[in-house]
Amino acid sequence: MDKLISLREAMASVADGSLVALGGNVLHRAPMAACMELARQGRRGLRLVKTAGAMDVDLLCMAGCVASVDAGFISYETEYSLASHYRRAVQEGRVAGNEHACYTVISALRAASAGIPFMPVKGLLYGDLPAVNDYFAEVTDPFSGQKLYAVRAIRPDVCIVHVQKAERNGNAGIQGPKFDDVLMSRASARVIVTAETIVPDDYFARGGQDADIPHFLVEAVVHVPKGAAPCSCAGFYEIDRTALDAFQALQTEAELAAYLAVRGQDTYGRKGGGNGRWEW
Amino acid sequence: MVRENDYRICDLMVCVMARLICDGDTIFHGVSSHMPMIAVLLAKQMHARHAVHLNIPGGVDPAPVHLKKETSAGAELLEKSCAYFPLQEVFDLSMRGGLDVAFLSGIQFDRNGNVNASVIGDYHRPKVRMPGGAGSAVLIPTVKRAILWRTKHDKRTFVEQVDFVTTRGNIDRIVTPLCVFRYETGRLELDTIHPGVSCETLQEQTGFPLDFSAVRRTPLPTEEELKKLRRIDPRDYRNLEFIK
Repeated sequence: MDKLISLREAMASVADGSLVALGGNVLHRAPMAACMELARQGRRGLRLVKTAGAMDVDLLCMAGCVASVDAGFISYETEYSLASHYRRAVQEGRVAGNEHACYTVISALRAASAGIPFMPVKGLLYGDLPAVNDYFAEVTDPFSGQKLYAVRAIRPDVCIVHVQKAERNGNAGIQGPKFDDVLMSRASARVIVTAETIVPDDYFARGGQDADIPHFLVEAVVHVPKGAAPCSCAGFYEIDRTALDAFQALQTEAELAAYLAVRGQDTYGRKGGGNGRWEW
Repeated sequence: MVRENDYRICDLMVCVMARLICDGDTIFHGVSSHMPMIAVLLAKQMHARHAVHLNIPGGVDPAPVHLKKETSAGAELLEKSCAYFPLQEVFDLSMRGGLDVAFLSGIQFDRNGNVNASVIGDYHRPKVRMPGGAGSAVLIPTVKRAILWRTKHDKRTFVEQVDFVTTRGNIDRIVTPLCVFRYETGRLELDTIHPGVSCETLQEQTGFPLDFSAVRRTPLPTEEELKKLRRIDPRDYRNLEFIK
């Protein structure tokens, strides 16, 4: 089955208010082109899920797309410091910053992937997080009586994962660190894959590499070379510091719109596109 | 002989962290963690050849050819690694009692060993939203020894009581630019003061009273440690947190 569609079409299928899991980790293999397209389309009320986010979450917060963020950590790496748009949006009450430990996001996704309503976790024994968040609750092991915390399942409406290689039918392969993308693909109701390259239909069956996300889980495939930029994509490109700096210097909505206008579009969103030789 | 001018505070802090690693330890560090990452690489070349280096990307005992600015969560940490053991599994390892050391940080610390990496002010409408504790809330209570580092040491960082308790638990040491704290019997105690730091300065920069009665000086980095550091980290990423 051919699931290849345009980025515009794929992101148009993400409704306002959706619970959206984003693949990658901090500045690595985040689905940036997809985030930029969501921002261009003016999506509202998204509830984001990620273990550790950076520019993806920050950009969507700046564009006003976000209602809440469930994550363990939102910040750039050392030299780029804090995610200022996320931070301001939470401080001004526009975005709910639902703090997890990275592991409780993983546990919540594991629960969803197993079709159960919660996952018991060790470790959350001390501190104020359980008291101020309704997604943690104390539970007792029915067998031993041990006290644990339960974390409520998170079943994203959709997860968006950027990979290096995908077949048109949805088989998707990740190169380098897989982060939590594979788990997200099992936990989410729908999976949208954006890919650096579209490989021949029997690429994964012919061996060399198994798909990390099998086709039957995937709803749509989008061909987006540089789809993680300015974040890194293992085996393809490093972090684009110039583009990151340019984003961090943006102040106004108009500046953001200009930034988005020239970045992160797919081969189909461009005249004469579809040849895989798209650059920016 | 190494003298005080032969090293910078980042060198000293990395050496302190490296020496806290025991041979054979399983060790995890996270993102934005250049200093502990370099400390692990150093310890493995000094006294802890059998220490096991674990990280977010998932490479077990990687030997990255060139460290990069974003290496502490980047694909380089899969280079020359012997197995793939990603973050989810590192957490599981800690939950079942198999993780010896986790290097973590925070924004605020108090004398009772509470760590705040979350908010200043009301949680739901904070005055300051900080990045969040990442793995801390589950790792600090479950890892055998949490070693914390913070490159800022002032009265807003080391306080009588934190604004919000992200977590507390098995803290072993907190390494700062001025001293090393030890967590013992529910209290942060002074372990060692770095060379060149006076008791007066340290007390002035700390928001709770310190007991100086049994304090020792932090040993200087050795020539061998400094030489190895320059080779492991020729681009000086261990100093990144001091120059931003």
